[in-house]
Amino acid sequence: MYKPRILVVEDDKAVRNLITTTLETQGYQYHTASTGGESIMEAISNQPDVVILDLGLPDMDGVDIIKKIRGWSNMPIIVVSARSEDRDKIDALDAGADDFLTKPFSVEELLARLRVTLRRLRYDVEKAGKSSSVFVNGELKIDYAAGCAYIADAEVHLTPIEYRLLCLLAKNVGKVLTHNYILKEVWGNALPGDTPSLRVFMATLRKKIEKNPSQPQYIQTHIGIGYRMLRIPE
Amino acid sequence: METQRPNPDLLLQQIMGEEQKRQVRGKLKIFFGYAAGVGKTYAMLEAAHQASKAGIDVAVGYIEPHARPDTLALLDGLELIPPLLMDHKGVAIREFDLDRALARRPQLILIDELAHTNADSCRHAKRYQDVEELLKAGIDVYTTVNVQHLESLNDVVASITGITVRERLPDTVFDNADQVELVDIEPDELIQRLSQGKIYQKRQARQALAHFFSKTNLVALREIALLRSAERVNKTAEKRDYYAGEHILICLSASPSNAKVIRTAARMADAFHGKFTALFVERETESETVAQRGLTENLRLAEQLGARIATVYGDDVAYQIAEYAKASGVTKVIIGRSNNVKYWWSSKANLVERLTSLAPALDIYIIPDTLSPYRNKRRLLGKVQGEGFSFEDVAVSLAILIFTTLLGFWFDHLKFGEASIIMLYILGVLVTALVTKGKLYSAFSSLISVFAFNYFFTAPQFAFQVFDTEYPVTFLFLLIVSIIVSTLTSKVKMQAKQAAQKAYRTEVLLETSQHFQSAQTQQEILTELARQMLRLLDRTVLIYPVKEEQQELSEPLVFAKDAELESELYTTPDERAVAVWVYKNNKHAGATTNTLPGARCLYMAVRSHETVFAVAAIAIGQRETLGAFEKNLLVAMLGECGLALEKDLVTKTKNQIAIQAQQEQLRANLLRAISHDLRTPLTSISGNAGILMENGDILNEEKKKQLYSDILDDSIWLINLVENLLSVTRIENGTMNLTMQSELVDEVIQEALRHVNRRSSEHDIRVNLEDDMLMAKMDSRLILQVIINIVDNAIQYTDPGSHITIAARKSKDMILFEISDDGAGIPDEAKSKLFDMFYTVDKNRGDGRRGLGLGLSLCKSIIHAHGGIIGVKDHAPHGLTFYFTLYSEEVNCDV
Repeated sequence: MYKPRILVVEDDKAVRNLITTTLETQGYQYHTASTGGESIMEAISNQPDVVILDLGLPDMDGVDIIKKIRGWSNMPIIVVSARSEDRDKIDALDAGADDFLTKPFSVEELLARLRVTLRRLRYDVEKAGKSSSVFVNGELKIDYAAGCAYIADAEVHLTPIEYRLLCLLAKNVGKVLTHNYILKEVWGNALPGDTPSLRVFMATLRKKIEKNPSQPQYIQTHIGIGYRMLRIPE
Repeated sequence: METQRPNPDLLLQQIMGEEQKRQVRGKLKIFFGYAAGVGKTYAMLEAAHQASKAGIDVAVGYIEPHARPDTLALLDGLELIPPLLMDHKGVAIREFDLDRALARRPQLILIDELAHTNADSCRHAKRYQDVEELLKAGIDVYTTVNVQHLESLNDVVASITGITVRERLPDTVFDNADQVELVDIEPDELIQRLSQGKIYQKRQARQALAHFFSKTNLVALREIALLRSAERVNKTAEKRDYYAGEHILICLSASPSNAKVIRTAARMADAFHGKFTALFVERETESETVAQRGLTENLRLAEQLGARIATVYGDDVAYQIAEYAKASGVTKVIIGRSNNVKYWWSSKANLVERLTSLAPALDIYIIPDTLSPYRNKRRLLGKVQGEGFSFEDVAVSLAILIFTTLLGFWFDHLKFGEASIIMLYILGVLVTALVTKGKLYSAFSSLISVFAFNYFFTAPQFAFQVFDTEYPVTFLFLLIVSIIVSTLTSKVKMQAKQAAQKAYRTEVLLETSQHFQSAQTQQEILTELARQMLRLLDRTVLIYPVKEEQQELSEPLVFAKDAELESELYTTPDERAVAVWVYKNNKHAGATTNTLPGARCLYMAVRSHETVFAVAAIAIGQRETLGAFEKNLLVAMLGECGLALEKDLVTKTKNQIAIQAQQEQLRANLLRAISHDLRTPLTSISGNAGILMENGDILNEEKKKQLYSDILDDSIWLINLVENLLSVTRIENGTMNLTMQSELVDEVIQEALRHVNRRSSEHDIRVNLEDDMLMAKMDSRLILQVIINIVDNAIQYTDPGSHITIAARKSKDMILFEISDDGAGIPDEAKSKLFDMFYTVDKNRGDGRRGLGLGLSLCKSIIHAHGGIIGVKDHAPHGLTFYFTLYSEEVNCDV
C-alpha cells in the first residue's frame, strides 16, 4: 500500500515529536525540517505529498516559504500557527496555503485535516485522466456544461450567484477560500462592505444543498476567515 | 528639524552640550563694507575657496550678476545653484532659489546682498528671511552687507549721502550673526578703482563719483561702518542676559517721522542694554484709512528693531503714556517733535509739559523732525483724507442750522426774547455734535450759528452789522459756549464708543474663554475658536489642527463666511504650504505679513509657550488689512485658545497616567490570580504524567485512563485560560482593537459550541433562533469567546443533565442573545458583582480554581467595546439567563 509522505516543518521539538508520533501511528511516512531554509531543501529533494508548515520559524516568515514553494509546486500546504490573529491565517491562505490549524490543536483535528487534504489529492490524480465536465462529491453533482447542480439526482434551483459560488468551492474542493478571494472571484471586486451579502448567499446556498444546514456536510465555515467545500469520502 | 546624516563631527558637537544648539543651527558670516566696490563679494568668494579646499561642501546660492570681472573669475571651481528666473512685468529677473538650496543642502552656501528685497512671488519678502530659513536647516551662510542697508543707520547714512535706501536690514540680523568681517579699503583707493571703471562702467562711474562716491561721503560712511562694527564687538563681548534697568518707551504714531524716533530709540536701547517698548495709544480721533497704513509700517519697523508692542486705549496720550510708564517701569521716553506741536489756541499744555507733570521721574528725549520732500507730500495727503470728510454730515449740520433758524423766526414772531433764540442755537450745535462724527462740524455750526444769529435776529436784521455794542459780547459768548458744548459732547460720545469697544473686547474674550472652558476636546476648542473668529472678523476662517503623534498638520476645518463654496480657494496645496511653514517656524505668515505675502490668508499659530497646537488661517482679500483692534483681539483670542489646548493636553496626559496606573493595578492583580491558579492544574498535569511514566506498568488500564483524562482536562482548562488572557491583553493595551465584520449569528453560535468544554456532552444544549439569517456586526473571535465563556460557565455551575438554551432575536437595531440554564441560579447580591474581575461565586467550593473570575469580566469588556450591553437575570422557574446585545446588520441581497 502507498504510504503518503508528509514534510513536517516545525522548530519546536516537542510539537514536532507530537506530530511525527501521530503520523507514525497512522502509518504515514514523514520528513522533518526545523528551519525555513531546510524546509525548502526538503520540499525540493523529497517531493512530499503534503507539507505541514509552522508559520513562526526562526529564519523565515512562513508566508514567504509558501510563496517560494508555490513558485514551482502545487503540493498541499497545511499551515500550523500559534498566532491567534486571523490576519496571519488569511495571509497564508491568500499566499496559497490549503488549510490551517491553530495551536493548540488536538491530534484528531490534525489527522482529520490531513485526511481531507489527501482525499482531494487522490481525487485530483484520478481526475487528471478523465474529462471533468461533471463534478461529483457525495450526493452533490455539478454539470458544468449544462450549468446545473443536483443533490441525489434531483436538480437544485440556484440563482446565478449561488451557482457561481458553488462552482468556485467545487473547483477548490478541500481548500479554504478566504472571503476576499471569493468576493473577487464571484463578484469581481472585494469591497469589505460586500461580506454580509456573501454570508447571506452562502446561507441560502447551504439551505438548498445541505440536509441539515446547522451541521453542514459540504460547506464548512471558518469564522472570520472563509469557507471550504469538504470532499465526502466515497 | 530635518534629520541629518550622522557624521562624526556632528556627534562630537552634540556631546559638547552647551554648544549644541548653535551647532544644529547654521552659522552666519557677514562680509561688511561701507560702500559698493570695497571688495565684499571678492572677499567672500576667496573665503569660500579656502573652505572648499578644507573639504567643506560649498555651493554658491546667489551672486549679483553685475559683479566685477575679477570677482566673477573667482566663481570658477565653485558649484552654482541655478537662480530662479522670473518674469516681473515683462522683465526677466533672477532670484535666489531657496527650495533648490534646501534640497541641495550644502554645508556652506554663499548669498550676496543680504538686504535684498525679493520679487513678489518668492516665499519671503526679504532675502534675510531666506537666509534665516537656511540657518535653521543647519546650513552655514556667507553673505555681504553694505553699511547703508542697516535699518538703524538708515537716517544717518541718508543725511550724509542724500539718498534714501529702500532695502534695509534689521539690526538684529547683523548683531546676531556669528561672524562679521569688515572689508575695509582706503577711500582714495576706492575712488581710484572707480575711476578705472572697475566698479561701474565709465559713464556711470563719473555720475557715481559726483554724487555718492565723493571723498567726504566715503570717509563719513567708512567711519560709520567702523564704528558700527566696533559697537557690535562691544555688544558681543558684553552679551549678557540682564537689562541694565533701563526701559525705553516710544509712542507709535502714523506719522512718517515716527520711523526716525523708533530707530533712535532702538539705538539707545541697544546702547543702554535696555528694554524697548513701542506703545500705541489708540484714539478715537485716529482716522482709519491712510494713516493706518503708516502706522502698520511703523509698527513693523519697531518690531523688527526688537521692540515689544503694547496697545492702550484712551484719548489723552500724555496720560496714557504716563500711566503705562509707571506701570511698566519705563525710565526713558523718546518723543518726536511732530508730536509736540503746540497750537496757539490750544488750552492744553503740550505733550512734554503734561508728561513732565504726570510722570516727573521720567527722562524725556525729544528728537528733531527733519522734513524731506517725500514726507511732506505724504502728510498733506494724510491731512485731506484723514479728517474723514463726509457730505452726509455736512448736510445734516446744515439741515439742523436751517431748522434752528426757522424755529428762531417763529420764536421771534411770538416775541420771545433773544436769550431763547441763543439757547436754541446752542441746542442746535449740541444736536449737531451728537449726530455727526468729529468736532469739525459742530465747530463750524457754532461759527455759522453766530453769523446766522447776527444776520437774522439782531438789529439791523438781514445784515452782518450790529448797532448795539452789547452784541459782540453776546456773539463771543455764544461762540465759546457752543464750542465748549460741542467739544464736550463729542468727547462724551467718543468715550462712550471707546468704552463700548473695550467692553466688547472684554466680552468677546470672556465669552471665548468660557466656551473654551466648557469645550472638552481639542476638536471642540478649535471649532469654538473658529466660530468666535468668524463672528469677530466676518471672514472665512480655516483651522489646521496639529496631529500630536505625527507632528504634522491634518486637513483644515473650514468655516466659510458665506455658504457658497469658496473654500476651495483657500485649501490649495500652496495655501497649505504656508500653514505648514507657520507650524514649522512658529511665526505669522501669509497675507499682510512679510513672509509669503502672496497667500490668500493670514496664517497665525495657535500656541502656548513654544508648542504649536494648530494654525489658524484668516482669509484676507488683496489690499485689505486687519484693523489694530481686531488684530489685537485676535492675538489675545489665539493665546487664550492656546492655553485652553494646553490645559486639554495636560488633562489628557493626566488621564492617561491614571489609566496606566489602573492598568498596572489590574495587571498586578491578574498576575497574582494567575500564579495561584496556574499552579493547581500544572501540578496535576506534571504529577499525573510523572506517575504514568514511572509506574505505568503497575497501574491497571482503568486507572491509567483516569490519569490520561485528568491530564487532558487540566490542559484544556489551561488552554481556555490562555485564550482569555490573550483577549484580556488585547483589551488592556489601550483601546480594544476590533476587526468588525458582519457574521451570521447561526454560524457563530455553531462555531462556539464546537469549542465549549467537552463535558458539554453531559448537558442538553439547544439553539433557538428566531431567524437563521440574523446577522450582527462583531469581532467574531471575541464574540466566540463571549459565548464560549458564558456557556462554559453554565456547564460548570449546573449539574449534568441540565438544559442550556441559546437564543437570539432581533430587537430594533440590535440583536439580543440570551443564554439560559435551569441550574440553581445565584443570589441577587452576587449578580451585581458577577462581571467584576477576579470575582468567583462560592470561593470555598473545592474546585474554586475552576473559576478565575476572568471570563465574565472579559465578556463585559468585549460587549461594551462593541457598543452593546450585557447582564444577567433570573430564569424561570429556576436558573440564570445571561443576555447581551450586538448591533445587527441589514443585508442587501440584491447584489
